[in-house]
Amino acid sequence: MSQLQTRFFTDNKKYSVDDVPFSIPAASEVQELSNVINKLLEAKNGSHSQIEFDFLVRGQFLRTSLSNHMEAEGISTEDVVEIEYVERFTAPQPEECMMHDDWISSVEADSEWILTGSYDKTARIWSLEGKAVMTVAGHTDVVKDVAWVRRDGLTSLLLTASLDQTILLWEWNSERNKLKARHCCRGHAGSVDTIEKMVGHGRRRWGGFTPLMTLSGHNEAVSSVLWLDSEEICSASWDHTIRLWDAETGSVKTTLTGSKVFNHISYSPLCRRLASGSTDRHVRLWDPRSKDGSLVLLSLTSHSGWVTAVKWAPSHEHQLVSGSLDNLVKLWDTRSCKTPLYDVSAHEDKVLCVDWTDSRVRHQHTSSLY
Amino acid sequence: MRTVNLESQKNGTMSKAKEKSAKKRVVEEDDDQIFQLPIFGKDEKKAGEEDDADLSDSEESVFSGLEDSGSDSHDEEEDAEEGDDEEDDDAVILDEILTKSRGVETATEPPATDKNTPTQPDVKTAPKQKRKMKKGEGVAMDDGGEKGLSTTRLGDEYEHDTSDEEDIRNTVGNIPMEWYQDYPHIGYNLDGKKIFKPIRNKDELDEFLDKMENPDYWRTVHDKTTASDIRLSDEQVDLVHRLQKGQFGDVNFNEYEPSVDFFTNEVMIHPVTNRPQDKRSFIPSLIEKEKVSKLVHAIKMGWIKPRKPKETTPQYYDLWAKEDPNAILGRHKMHVPAPKMRLPGHEESYNPPPEYLLTEEERMAWEQQDAEDRKLPFLPQKHSCLRAVPAFSRFIHERFERCLDLYLCPRQRKMRVNVNPEDLIPKLPKPKDLQPFPTTMSLVYIGHSSLVRSISASPTGQWLVSGSDDCTVRLWEVNTGRCMKTLEVGGAVKSVVWNPNPAVCLVAVCFESTVLLLNPGLGDRLVVSSTDQLITSYEPPEEDKEQAVTWALSEGPEHDNGHRLTLTHPKAVKQVVWHGKGDYLASVMPDNSSNLQVLIHQVSKRRTQNPFRKNKGLVQCVSFHPLRPYFFVATQRYVRVYNLIKQELTKKLMTNCKWISSMAIHPGGDNLICGSYDCRLAWFDLDLSTKPYKMLRHHKKALRGVAYHKHYPLFASGADDGSVIICHGMVYNDLLQNPLIVPVKVLKGHQITHDLGVLDVTFHPTQPWVFSSGADATIRLFT
Repeated sequence: MSQLQTRFFTDNKKYSVDDVPFSIPAASEVQELSNVINKLLEAKNGSHSQIEFDFLVRGQFLRTSLSNHMEAEGISTEDVVEIEYVERFTAPQPEECMMHDDWISSVEADSEWILTGSYDKTARIWSLEGKAVMTVAGHTDVVKDVAWVRRDGLTSLLLTASLDQTILLWEWNSERNKLKARHCCRGHAGSVDTIEKMVGHGRRRWGGFTPLMTLSGHNEAVSSVLWLDSEEICSASWDHTIRLWDAETGSVKTTLTGSKVFNHISYSPLCRRLASGSTDRHVRLWDPRSKDGSLVLLSLTSHSGWVTAVKWAPSHEHQLVSGSLDNLVKLWDTRSCKTPLYDVSAHEDKVLCVDWTDSRVRHQHTSSLY
Repeated sequence: MRTVNLESQKNGTMSKAKEKSAKKRVVEEDDDQIFQLPIFGKDEKKAGEEDDADLSDSEESVFSGLEDSGSDSHDEEEDAEEGDDEEDDDAVILDEILTKSRGVETATEPPATDKNTPTQPDVKTAPKQKRKMKKGEGVAMDDGGEKGLSTTRLGDEYEHDTSDEEDIRNTVGNIPMEWYQDYPHIGYNLDGKKIFKPIRNKDELDEFLDKMENPDYWRTVHDKTTASDIRLSDEQVDLVHRLQKGQFGDVNFNEYEPSVDFFTNEVMIHPVTNRPQDKRSFIPSLIEKEKVSKLVHAIKMGWIKPRKPKETTPQYYDLWAKEDPNAILGRHKMHVPAPKMRLPGHEESYNPPPEYLLTEEERMAWEQQDAEDRKLPFLPQKHSCLRAVPAFSRFIHERFERCLDLYLCPRQRKMRVNVNPEDLIPKLPKPKDLQPFPTTMSLVYIGHSSLVRSISASPTGQWLVSGSDDCTVRLWEVNTGRCMKTLEVGGAVKSVVWNPNPAVCLVAVCFESTVLLLNPGLGDRLVVSSTDQLITSYEPPEEDKEQAVTWALSEGPEHDNGHRLTLTHPKAVKQVVWHGKGDYLASVMPDNSSNLQVLIHQVSKRRTQNPFRKNKGLVQCVSFHPLRPYFFVATQRYVRVYNLIKQELTKKLMTNCKWISSMAIHPGGDNLICGSYDCRLAWFDLDLSTKPYKMLRHHKKALRGVAYHKHYPLFASGADDGSVIICHGMVYNDLLQNPLIVPVKVLKGHQITHDLGVLDVTFHPTQPWVFSSGADATIRLFT
């Protein structure tokens, strides 16, 4: 059995080990490596309890035996291998199951509350424990998207967009549990599918009571919009393009062209990447800043149905979650692009929307089985 | 010669008057005698002798010639005349000879006359002699080529002018003697005296007697000019014979004398001429120089290769190339070599190895077999030695068979074409290159409880409507599969169609004998309300016309459900179809016995009309042309294209199908596909022909639905085998290029229920997605 010279390091000071090369059997896998680290930590610190670690070789997660991985990646086995180890991201467990009467079209999590929109024409506010706190009723048609705007102490502003072509701005006092409709935004010719922090679906940006400007350029339905920063808007459409708009002038800055319909996009300010979910079952990562247009940085392929939702982790630059019509939610790490970290298969029907609360995932699925 | 001179001297002494002329003549005679022809050799001698003998007589004869002729020689003359008359034949031939040989004859005569009358001839023969001499000379002149030589030798060639050599006994000249017929004379002699005819002409009797008695009669010739008979001598007769035979007259003339060269053949060392050599003979020739320079140039340029080495390898050619059918040298392209006979094997040996000998059973089997089925035409037999081998009894027969084989062998070469079956498949682009097209099933729309007959997508592509046998119409959100609405209608829904006009939100639904116009209330509120307004704004005309269909406006709860207009037909409606503008609507009521099968409704005016007066067969489905005012009606076997404005039949398409089930028109309007219950899909190019451009038989079972995509070059067909087949159907703007049809994908997903699979297919209006509805109560979206 051949041996490999390895050196372990980590960013986490709590689990750091001595910076000396170790001789490791080449066939060892993650579990054996994890045991090695645990042994080392135990030797260093007697009160150390067993912890599962994950290992990265040159930025790629180790999923097979060390020798196989190095062979696949083309890393020389002669040198000392630098292996980074991180605490394993534990498998997500469903904590709460919040039951709607009808399909849930959207979800948005706050640090305390969860806002959901539903096909029963209402939106609801839930506590993290899964208790329905408030029902927002006012739309005459299906609520397609919901969003928190801001929170000042106990008062929160929230938005709901609906198929009845309106967006309602609500003010909710969490202590008194009082809800007040502040504004109704009309102007869309077609159902409003998505809103994002004061941005309405389609081609209109809202401020106050009247549409500030109309962003027109897409040939077909706009499936998703978001703010990249205070000056840029990104929109994904069924016409196979993602467009970046200048919020001030309303003109197209960049167009990213794909080959399939885009269902959802998400942007991470941490890694400055755009993730898109499309009908060809792939999650694709884009660099919106790149000038050379339609270059896909990475394709994450594992879903077997349309990817209906993607969401970057708010606190982790490598992690994102995707939901698909194949009833699965997958947690991805961009450092392991071949396979997802975890499949979350608690849903029994199509997943329409996903969101994170801090580090935990909330996913919505639609099911009429409830 | 001397003798002649003597004679002339004597003559001169005898006659003074004639002396000069006589001298002249003597000179002539001298010449002649030197070169006398051999014929006259004898005569010459005789003449000479006679001359000597007749010297004295010659004078007399000169002066008394007439008298002589008149008296002495009349016997002979008579004879001659007689002979003349009788022997005309001879006379003709001898005429010429006569004139020449007259002298001869007279010369030869004397001996005969000498015998008879010894005295007289002296007088008579002298002048004759002279004449003869002259005559002989003339003959010699005429005959010989040596005359030239002789004359040149003498110098004066004109002395012998033949005009002087006339017979001067009669001076009339060469005239026809008939002219003197009536005169007593026949001419004049030299002295100008008349020459009288003989007193008594010979009559026939005399002639006869002469003929009988005179042994020389045959050689006697009558001379007309002198009216005397001349007896030819032997030499003369001989001459005549020779001339008659075409031989030379001179016996001694040698025709074949050895030739003598004019010039010697020996090369002489001295030049013949003393002329100096030309300058050009020692100066190089310019012309040759030019030629040589041309050759040199050609050699330099490599056009000519001097001293090219001869090919030492001998040139062979394959004598037997023709035997090899593949050889190029076969002179005849179609040369078929005679089939070769098999070489004899061991079984033909007189002493074959035992394994070749047939056992008893094999022999029995061999005998049982037909002669044609036998593997061997003979039985191998073993003989102890070659001597014991009997004669082969079938030898002739076998040779005959061989000849027959060769003779009956088909000499025509069969051109066998080896076709690779894969080459026959047309070269089609790979489906991979024809993206995008639907490949996988993405969404299943579940909700219906019975088979879904018909589906239709909204013009925006956001919604889908479906009609089912469970008497409901469902409206679906395309991208989530959510059923937005379920509308109960009063019967199994046969057909649903979304209005293609995006400014109108209407769905036509047909069930039983009703066509229902629904407003689904989805999409833009503005459009929904304007559609409602459009329907309610109708004002009925003053006079109500009787229509085949009753229009009813829905009210109350039905209106809240979305029902807007109800068109009650007299019969069960099978299909509804919208016109592209969204105002007209056609409905089909299949009925074989009536002309009321197709109705066209106008929604805005609530008007209905029956476009056809005649029943042309059971109508299966109808369709509007997307751009032009054409109307397509599919009966069981044919598709008829009507021009709605001109109200006439434009085309009749033969589908070659047994029963058409569905039809779709290409958005360009020039192509059409027909699905049929006998598993066929026919593509028509309307510009090309009324026959199908392509016939596809890729479905195993009956086709139920066909559809074209509005933008992408795609068409789909759904069949009872539960599959949807997507084909790439590219239509080119170029009229010369035929549509390209490539099957690209078979989509499976529907369960086969009650032997029914896919009932309807429709494309998403903007995306390359296809919806299919099946008998398993589901609708599936393939993307």
